[in-house]
Amino acid sequence: MNNRRASINRPPTPDPDEEPEKELTLQEMINIKLIESGEKEKLMELLRERLIECGWRDEMKALCRAYARKKGRNNVTVDDLVHVITPKGRASVPDSVKAELLQRIRSFLISVPL
Amino acid sequence: MSALNDGSSSPRSQHASRCFEDLLESIVVDVASECHRIARLGLDRNLEDEEEELRLSAQARVADPGSSGESNSKNVVDIFGQTHPAIAGDTFNCMNCGRPVTAGRFAPHLEKCMGKGRKARTKATRSSTIARNRHSRGSPVTVYAPYSNATNSNRIPNGTTAGEEYTDYTFEEP
Repeated sequence: MNNRRASINRPPTPDPDEEPEKELTLQEMINIKLIESGEKEKLMELLRERLIECGWRDEMKALCRAYARKKGRNNVTVDDLVHVITPKGRASVPDSVKAELLQRIRSFLISVPL
Repeated sequence: MSALNDGSSSPRSQHASRCFEDLLESIVVDVASECHRIARLGLDRNLEDEEEELRLSAQARVADPGSSGESNSKNVVDIFGQTHPAIAGDTFNCMNCGRPVTAGRFAPHLEKCMGKGRKARTKATRSSTIARNRHSRGSPVTVYAPYSNATNSNRIPNGTTAGEEYTDYTFEEP
């Protein structure tokens, strides 16, 4: 009889939808705060502007053009181009631009309660 | 707890760097996407190829001195090494009216031969012409009607009405 009771009292099979969300990592929470406050948008605009000013964007476009010419312009995928740009792109961001953005991000992180 | 000014190793700085990399990646994808579009649409190369062609043709023109572009185009040689007169001169027979016609004058000929007759006609007047002709000729079938059993397969040398009937009958036959 006890066994039957046990089966009645058994907790229900967890519904996938009802599963409790895993806790967000701190990074994820930061990201959410950035987006919610609108700061991410502003930072994006700022970075875009700075990268255009310093010619970074043109450099990257030149890389893409060269790659497309070599590979044949109809054989190129967005993924290809991302892989072409990313290493050089990361390395060639001017220090001043990077510093400016990091400063703003850090200020934001200080100002926001987490 | 590390000081706020502790270089890049403090957690806050790490988070900041991660945010920065995030932003940069979005922008990279933007640029890649735009370049992909330019590459696939051929927008970029068009400019380059056009410039090259302009330069080459300018060179060719310079090599052959004097004269306007118009007369020069007759002397210019194409990729097979042939030269062509400005106005096409071959002669053939119009498939509509059967008359011999010069290639360079074919388009204006067709305008008259198929469309206008002596004066410009609208489609309404054409069908009334056909109705009239149907009675006068007796046979509702034209030489070009695809579903007909017409034994008369000769072209009617009278260009105007035959052309018009042809045009309309192909539309009107079920």
